[in-house]
Amino acid sequence: MLKAEGIYKAYNGEDVLKDVALEVEDGEFVVILGASGSGKSTLLSVLSGLERADKGRVWYDERDITALNDKQLTAFRRDTVGFVFQQYYLLSNLDVENNVKLGASLVGNKNYREIIADVGLVEKIKSMPSELSGGEQQRVCIARALAKNPRVLFADEPTGALDESTGRAILDYVSRVKRERGFTVIMVTHNANIADMADKVVSMNSGRIVGVASNPAPKSAYDIGW
Amino acid sequence: MLVGIRDGIKLVGISIVAFCAVFVCAFFLNFYVDVQTVENAVTEQMRPLYDAQLATARFTCAITGGFLAVVTAVMLAFYIKLYVDGNGERIGILKALGYSDGRLALGFWVFGLSVLIGATAGLCVGYASMPAIYKQLTIDGLPNVPVRFNAWLPIALVIAPTALLTASACLYAYFYVRKPVMRLLRGRTDITKKSDKHKKSSRTISKDGRFLLQMCFAVLRSKKASVFFVAFSSFCFSAMVQMGASMYDMDSGTMGLMILLIGVTLAAVSMIMAVTTVVNGNAASIALMRAFGYSDGQCALSVLGGYTPFALIGFIVGTAYQYGLLRIMVDLLFADVAEMPAYSYDVALTFIVFAVFAAAYAAVMGVYAVRLKRISIKAIMLEN
Repeated sequence: MLKAEGIYKAYNGEDVLKDVALEVEDGEFVVILGASGSGKSTLLSVLSGLERADKGRVWYDERDITALNDKQLTAFRRDTVGFVFQQYYLLSNLDVENNVKLGASLVGNKNYREIIADVGLVEKIKSMPSELSGGEQQRVCIARALAKNPRVLFADEPTGALDESTGRAILDYVSRVKRERGFTVIMVTHNANIADMADKVVSMNSGRIVGVASNPAPKSAYDIGW
Repeated sequence: MLVGIRDGIKLVGISIVAFCAVFVCAFFLNFYVDVQTVENAVTEQMRPLYDAQLATARFTCAITGGFLAVVTAVMLAFYIKLYVDGNGERIGILKALGYSDGRLALGFWVFGLSVLIGATAGLCVGYASMPAIYKQLTIDGLPNVPVRFNAWLPIALVIAPTALLTASACLYAYFYVRKPVMRLLRGRTDITKKSDKHKKSSRTISKDGRFLLQMCFAVLRSKKASVFFVAFSSFCFSAMVQMGASMYDMDSGTMGLMILLIGVTLAAVSMIMAVTTVVNGNAASIALMRAFGYSDGQCALSVLGGYTPFALIGFIVGTAYQYGLLRIMVDLLFADVAEMPAYSYDVALTFIVFAVFAAAYAAVMGVYAVRLKRISIKAIMLEN
């Protein structure tokens, strides 16, 4: 279980997160909703160990990641979490296979080609990122994250730069793999329709969580609005 | 993964400085050792000359070689900083995935390749030119010094510096890649406190409406290492060209010419490296300024103009440095040597060297101003 308590984070003296508390069960699909500047991406960074909170605690089961030193935090990111970014962040000088291998080699996963096949990029395995469409790049980014066999997958606006049909395909793939493997997904978005896919919806405004709602009947990526 | 072999090899500037450092040290150190083999053949009458010769070799090696070794290390650090700044996002991605700082830093060993290439070439050329240089270095009346190969020289001048600088590169990179992941991903490498300071000064200058001056300061602040290398370039030019010319006047023609050539080479390498970095680093700003309607001259002035005072300072310091160094050599090291040519500060020479430097500086800036003209906003937008 992931648990955050009393999280504060400020940039240039301006509070971005204020007393944020959150609980996420193993295997849950959580969507963090909020307008631009509401603090949702910062919360994602803090929960995933990309950034340190100024104050507060983040536990993964009994492990407090805010107490970890830099080396331990790096090991935590390597072993526990995966990231999908809106900007993809692929290494431009590596082809598809090597970008995915970048994640796989960290955990000694030799079956990364299966993941590339799963995301439908077998024919593009030797293509460079600049030769791929936005949707394809996002699929590489997802494959790279999944190749690490993460316990929690963090996704920051993964469909923000994609058209509707590509976006739905990406979301469908993520939710399908999540069901198969049972990992937790925490996704940040400003698209309220995506919330219909989640088990839990966390709403943020001005750095605070203003609502947490459970969704008893999550919809599929093709049943939600856009 | 992060740094390729090609990244290491393309640091020609470091190779050139390492070449100069090892070249100078190779023949002076070798000469220093070899000259002692003829000590028994030196007469009492010639003893002061012999001692002066030994002292010159030791002194030149320590001052010039040591100085160039420091410059090589500084240049290496400068390149690594540039590389890390330019690849912050890539480092951020790898760190986000879970790659450790140590693992990323170890990849920077390839930067040592440029040192290895330059140092090896310097040693080879140094040995190749030793017979001719020994003849020039041997003072009339002293026995001829035979050229011998000293096996410890490649270890001391190539292997050890390469190993040391490679280790330093990895260590420096280690501390540099330790920035927080999100700062690297977002391309924010400045420290918050500094940006607050920038805001204050920007506001003050904005009130006066002096945008170009503000831009000048911003460029200088963002490329502090370039300020050093521009000043260093003019320092090298001023010091080594004047020293070379003075030594030529003092009947040390070959040495004078050699120092002069090394000075010009170092000055050119440092200047080109610094200005290229500044122009590349400000391409986006220049493209935007031009799109907004600023003239090519205004763009060039705002990016390159701020460096001129530092070039001037470098020149003045270089003049004082070479004067001090020659005074020490003449008044201390060769104090006991009879018929030592007199040395006095040559004002006319300083003015001539300054005029040549000013012309060369203006030419370099002119070439880069033309390069700035060619930056198109469309190309910049496509890159981003």
